[in-house]
Amino acid sequence: MSKQSVDIEGRVLIAGSADGPALVLDETLSFWGGFDPSNGEIIDVHHPQYRQLVGGKILCIPQSKGSAGTPGGIAETLRNGSGPIAFVLGEPDVNISVGTLVANRLYDMNIPVLEISRERMKQIKTGEAVFIDRNGRLSVNR
Amino acid sequence: MDATKEVLVTGELQLNELDQARLDGRLGKAMQFAMQTIVTAAHIDQADALIDISFAHIDACFYNGRAHLDFVNYMLDHGASLAVPSWTNNGLVSLNDLSVRDPLASREMHEARELMQAYVKLGCNPVWTCAPYQLPGRPGLGDHIVGSESNAVSFYNSVIGARSNMYGDYLDVCAAITGRVPFSKLHRDEARAAQILFDVGSIPQAVRNNDLFYHLLGYIVGRKCGNRVPAIVGLPESCDEDDLKAISAAASSAGSVPLFHAVGITPEAATLEIAFQGRQPTQVMELNVDDLRQARDELGKNSDQPLAGVALGTPHFSYTEFERLVNLLDGRSIDPRLTFYLSTSRHVFEQAKQQGWIESLQQAGVKIITDTCTYFSPAVNGLHGKIMTNSAKWAYYAPGMLPVDVLIASLSECIESAVSGEVMLDQWDAT
Repeated sequence: MSKQSVDIEGRVLIAGSADGPALVLDETLSFWGGFDPSNGEIIDVHHPQYRQLVGGKILCIPQSKGSAGTPGGIAETLRNGSGPIAFVLGEPDVNISVGTLVANRLYDMNIPVLEISRERMKQIKTGEAVFIDRNGRLSVNR
Repeated sequence: MDATKEVLVTGELQLNELDQARLDGRLGKAMQFAMQTIVTAAHIDQADALIDISFAHIDACFYNGRAHLDFVNYMLDHGASLAVPSWTNNGLVSLNDLSVRDPLASREMHEARELMQAYVKLGCNPVWTCAPYQLPGRPGLGDHIVGSESNAVSFYNSVIGARSNMYGDYLDVCAAITGRVPFSKLHRDEARAAQILFDVGSIPQAVRNNDLFYHLLGYIVGRKCGNRVPAIVGLPESCDEDDLKAISAAASSAGSVPLFHAVGITPEAATLEIAFQGRQPTQVMELNVDDLRQARDELGKNSDQPLAGVALGTPHFSYTEFERLVNLLDGRSIDPRLTFYLSTSRHVFEQAKQQGWIESLQQAGVKIITDTCTYFSPAVNGLHGKIMTNSAKWAYYAPGMLPVDVLIASLSECIESAVSGEVMLDQWDAT
């Protein structure tokens, strides 16, 4: 396969830049109950990415799901250092963004949140090197 | 230099002078951070305006890691105060009864207690309940409010006709501090129209009069409606707030249902046409007894294990549920081999106490807990093995978090089983 890069223009929900490997989740996830913030592991037994670790990854997720607890799960995993270095969303998601904003404030981090679309997320594969800039441009190098 | 300013995107949002002052930090750093969070939420929702709220129900007092404590302490240290009356949801522990989840047993339980105390310091009304709508002074029709716990959001929107989106942790507190939320989704008329219709009119009256029916119906609605607003037609006239609570809790456990309409019963659904705001349903589903049987099986089977206990009060038991329980128990005692838990709010506990019900229930072997609930981990004492519950919410969540095996049943089946020490089921679905 020839070397090619993909460029995607996203909507910036929380600005910032990041550079790292993608972890693409095939389904929505609750960060309360379905996720362990102490080590960043997906513990929802029904989830296709069950037992995957999100730490150090650019986490591509269609959307979060479930109760009011998701922002706390996000802030706690970022506090623990077990969290992703960026979120790329298939749909707008207030809970993931608020959890990230709180962690950025409390723990002096800069974790960006970018919304693309579920369709465009299909262009990103787990393990690929992804770069996000402050203006919402995402590129995949392969 | 304010670091959060660097990462903030305000989009198309119009801010008035006071909002701008809040955002610029002229009203203190806690207010500034709260406003930045509200503005971020407005940008994500693509809202072009903020509106005032009159009330908030706060979920961030439920411990979910050290970050929760750091957040409220940041707010307190930077001079936060509340703009609107704010009532607390359940905590992870009980402030009344340390034996429920012992704060000395672990750092987490200790911090969970500290977190609850911090929200009292912030100025919250410490009602510690997931059913705040059972207490006097609740919001009214058309009021813009902040709800967070999923069953309460659903009950406020559906049964009272107050208007709330599902506000997650931190955003609930930021809204209570600023008194403002984005004018989006369920705050707007158009998002409140029903889209999918569930017809239960052909289910026999006797089945519809059983309290279990409402839990199973809520579960089915939650599974089937996706992100559409459901309307239900065919509920019996006997349907009361306890029944509507059951639908709210079950539907928002099995799915995401912040609003449903019960035609002829709930305030924005006097008729089918009003519920659908003049439009046609995108789908009509006629439910029958087989659907209910299937829902009951999906929520737990009657395994071969011996019965170990009963759990009631998810969401918190109401005054009228206490009355039914006392009448059904009729002076009998719980089999001493079983554990029987009932969760309620402090307020309803006091009401029941005045009737002498608390004393008689405790003597009969019922363990009554306030401020918290039994369906999540860590398990309260004695909750393991086969547990009967009358709550679809308990049945849906507990097996994932506790070492239990669940059987969902009507209130009367739960009580007859608890008295006899073994599972006793009615022919509730006989047709």
